[in-house]
Amino acid sequence: MYKFVLLFLLAFSLYGEDEYELGKGVQVASLPFYLGAYFSADYRHMDQEDRYRLDDLALLGYGSYDKFSYMAEFEYKTLYSYTQTQDEERTEKDLALHTERLYLDYNYNENYLLRVGKYNSPIGFWNLLPINVLRQTTSHPISTNILFPQFTTGLGGSYTSYDDSELHVDLMLQHNEDLDNKYNNYKIDEHYGVSLHYEKENYALKANVGYFHQLENLGNPQNFYYYLLSAKYEMESYEFLAEVGSQYSQNAATTPYAGYIQGLYRFTQQHIGSIRLESFKDNLTNQNDSISVFAYTYRPIYPVAFKSEYQIHSISAQNQFLFSISVLF
Amino acid sequence: MRILGRISLLCLLTFSAMADEYAVVSNAKMKDLTLLEIRAIFLKKITLISDDTELVPINLEAMDPLRLKFEKEVLGMSFSRLKSYWIQEHYLGHRPPISMKSQESIKAFITKVDGSIGYLNIENIDANMKIHYRWSD
Repeated sequence: MYKFVLLFLLAFSLYGEDEYELGKGVQVASLPFYLGAYFSADYRHMDQEDRYRLDDLALLGYGSYDKFSYMAEFEYKTLYSYTQTQDEERTEKDLALHTERLYLDYNYNENYLLRVGKYNSPIGFWNLLPINVLRQTTSHPISTNILFPQFTTGLGGSYTSYDDSELHVDLMLQHNEDLDNKYNNYKIDEHYGVSLHYEKENYALKANVGYFHQLENLGNPQNFYYYLLSAKYEMESYEFLAEVGSQYSQNAATTPYAGYIQGLYRFTQQHIGSIRLESFKDNLTNQNDSISVFAYTYRPIYPVAFKSEYQIHSISAQNQFLFSISVLF
Repeated sequence: MRILGRISLLCLLTFSAMADEYAVVSNAKMKDLTLLEIRAIFLKKITLISDDTELVPINLEAMDPLRLKFEKEVLGMSFSRLKSYWIQEHYLGHRPPISMKSQESIKAFITKVDGSIGYLNIENIDANMKIHYRWSD
């Protein structure tokens, strides 16, 4: 842990630019190496439980040279968590440093890019900006957790074209174990997926399909197919985002549906309100729920977020209040 | 009535002559760009062009009036929305375009460096530059 802080301080001492601005990282000694970091702490209140958590503490480094660029991100996940119920008090600490992203890009030309390493699966919109300070609510929609692997380790390729609209095609190819399978929502050794992304003016549409093979899932299916459809409409003061998908295994639906629609309104750049309606049915865990999320975010400046939200579940024991503080350096 | 019409026409011509004109320009070697490509270049979605030339988009400094006009007209984004865009891009490993203090510096840079692209007042543009997009107040 102290090494982590030392590295960050050392980078600041070698800082190559005149002025530091929060949320933009630092360039280290005029090298093609930029360093950033982020953290998140949250509090959750449920009828029977209170939890205090230092959730994310991460360091990221990136840069580019000629046609190559790279990204490395290492993170302490659930560094500290204290939970209090009527019957017990629990403290959890995970001091292992996890590899969240580690990849190298080769920009072949203006249209094609090749990627190798571990990266956020380019599925939907939410999964590409998953860290607390950048997302709109403290919680993630359930659909982004249960339908597909959030990370892929292997090859990635993308094709981009700009005519009168933007078109992106992304391929995900994994035929090996995860670089750090403790840091993924599924332990997988295969993932093949394709993503089509169309964007024009203020709206964007995305369609994803894929297959993955799960490890260590005794007694349960191991081969899964998924699809996810996403739409986003963004204006200066408001934004709509919707994602819906399913997951199948052996011709049966393991998750018949999981999706959400979220509306966001910026009263000012500092004060943001959002409402999200979610619903899912998961046959593997035999759970289904509908959730209404009411959230308010205060951003004194964009890279600092104070968020609160209240969730109303169809299973009322799951109702909860969340509060978080997150910063991007 | 005819006199009133002439006065109106004169006013219109005077105002149009007073309106400042601006353009997005590059080195003459660069291929023609669409508005969407210019937008993608300044948002660093495209970093290479045609013959693998590395693109170097150049901004004026943060609160420069021409930069604000460019961001509104060409990028279609406000200053604060762009700021949040670049903070998100920091997480994705992308840096914003470099900034220069004056149009003269941008002009000199564009003349010397292939792949560089910026925006200038129309009267600052030389004959050896390529105009990709022009707009006026």
